[in-house]
Amino acid sequence: MSKTKRYSRSRGLAFSAFLAGRQLLAFSSSSRLLHGNQQFSSALTSYSHLQEGVYLFKNGVDPYSGGVFRHSPLYLSLFTTILPVTGTASSVLWTLSDALGAWALVKIWNSRQCVPSSKRDTLVAAMYLLNPYIFLPSLAQSTSSFENTLMLLSLMFASQGRASATLLSLAFLVHLSLSSILILTPLLLLLLLDPVSRLASPKSLFSLGVDFRRLIPFLGEFVIYLGTFTLLSTFTSGGWSWITQTWGASLSLPDLTPTTGMWWYFFTEMFDHFRPFFLMVFSVHLLIYIAPICIKFQYDPLYAAFLLIGILGTFKAYPTLSDPGLFLSMIAIFPETYPYLRHPIVTALLHLHASLLMPLFNHLWLTQGTGNANFYYASTLVFACSNGAALLDCIWAGLRIAIGEEREGYAVAQE
Amino acid sequence: MQAGWLVRLLLGSFLLVPTLGYSQLEQFDEELTIKSLRDGKVFSKFSFTTILKGASPRDPRNLGTDDVSQHYIVFPLALGQILREYAVTELHLSLNAGKWNYDRWGYPEEPGVGTGAELWTWMGDSTQSSINERWRGLRNALAGLFCASLGSLDEQRTTSPARSFLPEGHLPDWGIPHQIRHASLPSENVCTENLTPFLKLLPCKSLSGIASLLNPHRLFDADWHGMSVHVLWRENRGVEIRLTFQTISDPLRLSSGRKQDWSFRTLFDRTIEKTCPVAQSSRVVVTLPTSVAYAIEPEPSSVVLGLASFDISNSIKPLDIGLRFAGDFQYPVDFDAPLTSLSVQRILHGSSQAYGQLSVKLTNHQAEPLRVVYLETMPWLIQFYLHTLKIHIDGMRNDNAMSEVTYIPAVPHARPATFQCVLSIPSGATMDLSMDVAKSFLRYTEHPPDAQRGWDLPPAVFTLIEANQTSPLNTNRRLYTPTLLVDLATPDFSMPYNVIIFTCSLIAFLFGSVFNLLTRKFVVVRIDPDKKNE
Repeated sequence: MSKTKRYSRSRGLAFSAFLAGRQLLAFSSSSRLLHGNQQFSSALTSYSHLQEGVYLFKNGVDPYSGGVFRHSPLYLSLFTTILPVTGTASSVLWTLSDALGAWALVKIWNSRQCVPSSKRDTLVAAMYLLNPYIFLPSLAQSTSSFENTLMLLSLMFASQGRASATLLSLAFLVHLSLSSILILTPLLLLLLLDPVSRLASPKSLFSLGVDFRRLIPFLGEFVIYLGTFTLLSTFTSGGWSWITQTWGASLSLPDLTPTTGMWWYFFTEMFDHFRPFFLMVFSVHLLIYIAPICIKFQYDPLYAAFLLIGILGTFKAYPTLSDPGLFLSMIAIFPETYPYLRHPIVTALLHLHASLLMPLFNHLWLTQGTGNANFYYASTLVFACSNGAALLDCIWAGLRIAIGEEREGYAVAQE
Repeated sequence: MQAGWLVRLLLGSFLLVPTLGYSQLEQFDEELTIKSLRDGKVFSKFSFTTILKGASPRDPRNLGTDDVSQHYIVFPLALGQILREYAVTELHLSLNAGKWNYDRWGYPEEPGVGTGAELWTWMGDSTQSSINERWRGLRNALAGLFCASLGSLDEQRTTSPARSFLPEGHLPDWGIPHQIRHASLPSENVCTENLTPFLKLLPCKSLSGIASLLNPHRLFDADWHGMSVHVLWRENRGVEIRLTFQTISDPLRLSSGRKQDWSFRTLFDRTIEKTCPVAQSSRVVVTLPTSVAYAIEPEPSSVVLGLASFDISNSIKPLDIGLRFAGDFQYPVDFDAPLTSLSVQRILHGSSQAYGQLSVKLTNHQAEPLRVVYLETMPWLIQFYLHTLKIHIDGMRNDNAMSEVTYIPAVPHARPATFQCVLSIPSGATMDLSMDVAKSFLRYTEHPPDAQRGWDLPPAVFTLIEANQTSPLNTNRRLYTPTLLVDLATPDFSMPYNVIIFTCSLIAFLFGSVFNLLTRKFVVVRIDPDKKNE
């Protein structure tokens, strides 16, 4: 039997095993207990809010006239027509979404290595499916799992050079979550270039012979897809109020339910006079990372996209655990950086610390009443530190590869 | 002198004309109703009605021009000016304290017994000045008049429940639509400073007539008390202002033995010394007990259908009406038998500060099926999850018992939720309605000074629909549930600077490190062991 066939067979078996285990767990009542968990879902992605919006829509009340439903109208149209929103059938939907995401990640890995399949495929799939940051929000039926899947799909299509599919899935993703617009630039660069690893040999895009004139039609196509989805959403929801409720929520932070991010407590304690200024600062802060990272990593746009996903996971307005989870799972496709990570143990321990304490302090504060809001806030600060540490380490490693192996008597530093 | 005699005649006629005029244009009646209740308590209701005959409310389309001069003699000028200023057709304001126990005391005579302040009006729409502007002006004017914080009944507490609060009088046929504005403030406290302006609206103040019994020391010591102002317009009569004060007093608590006896002296520590000269009728109506031996003194002017009436103007003053019971008070055998068709209980379950469950239990005591309109005006702090609404009748799940649902969702920081539906309860059955709710997380500046106390949630209103009606009429009974207290999560109030500093430092550190790594050049440094010490 050829190597490829053997890898595919074992890959398929492992895949099915992971998915079956996940689905069995989803059939138990653990899903219902996790629906309200503030780590796994946010105000923009919560399953209860989705159900409420679909219920109101089905009963003739405009879901965007009130404050609970902040999902895109595309979810409304899908869940009221073809997709199931209650019961066990909906849990299958989340399992399928995870499966699709894992498959897309494996395909990105294969494109990066320029092989149809490799023996590390199972490991890559496992790093996505078995990552508790990915699998627990999916069990809680948070729609951030769909956003992850779409992100990976658009990266996969871009790695395979299929422009229309990339831009369509990215437009769909931006409709579901506005902050994902950060990924547009590296995706366009990825379409112009290819996903093959060039971290070890940095070159400018001009010297790689990239044709920038192809950017304009890509951008135009993306804008057309985005506009079509906007019109479709307006038609579905019967008005323009969905824009302020969904996209506007990331910018104006109307809902201050605690999340794992840094925005909620900051804007809880902020006096009204300064709110608009700091909302602007936090939003612009997300955008200022695009240009430097894309310029510095222009020769390896997939790595730039990976770093921007890390930025999103740390600094997004309404994050859940899936956003940093995607970043951590995607480390699996960059094994060339592993020797150059400076403090992986510290990052892992910080993550362990934060991920164990966040649900504990949340429970102590809200359910038991023996803790303070500060306990939970402190644990989210540690979580932000851990995400930041992972991000910084990955940036360092990505740049350090280019210098080469360490040699006796010499040290590499930055000045 | 002839001229002097003529002048005196003219002066006399000038003086006579206004009094003649008032008896034709304005009428003031006062009445006190007293009833002994089943559990030994005494229900008293003071009712002062002034009718401005032939008058009609101001047309809101004329708000741009100056108003016609209004001449009032008995009608309260302060309130009348407010009504004309904001072109109010119908107004109901009640300030209550305590929890009205429908199961023990039955229906109150004035239905508005929700705890705290409740204000609802019907106003005509006009382009001159919108209803919302006039509503705001009206709230603030009434707040000044009654020394109550009615100005805080803003958009975050205002709803338009037109099905539950139908106009008690008539709405003028001006060809413009009338709309209702309703707001309630359950945490409002009622005290003497609300009673004083109330008494100032009466023609005789508290100096003579029945109003002289209103002693704040005893009234605010009552188990339940509530004052209300009702302004309405009836087409054949004119504008009517009805000021009422209801109390539930407890003579058992004040008596040394177990005597249910009461008198003006024991209830109010006052007696009626003088009649109010401008009152056309001034009566005390006492509901006579049916099952025990009693003695009432002085002799009533008339006894009709178990109601003893006393005409104050013809009675001997000082008037101290009293009812003495032959034996000690005994709790009756049917003490817990329901006095109303419907018993309601509303509870907020859940110990988490993030989620809860609102549950309403209704029991139909009638022999026929009962239909009620259930109104819930919930502030935006509590977000409903309507898809989790479950109805159980006698333990069995039955979601069809709810029909004609109208739902206006809450908008955070802007508008409360209005949920109205018609519930059908079979005879003798208990219906359990439960719904998951989410508790909001407020901004630092939105928390009240004593944030850990919690927020009061306004009562739910149930309007009973009679068997032969399809929708409620304005004469149908309204039941109010008690208010709820919800405990919301609070941030640490001592920490705004610290939080901003911590978060900003972390973001700045990460930002700085990322840009450091991206912008600095790599150098390979030779580390020579021989030159280490230099």
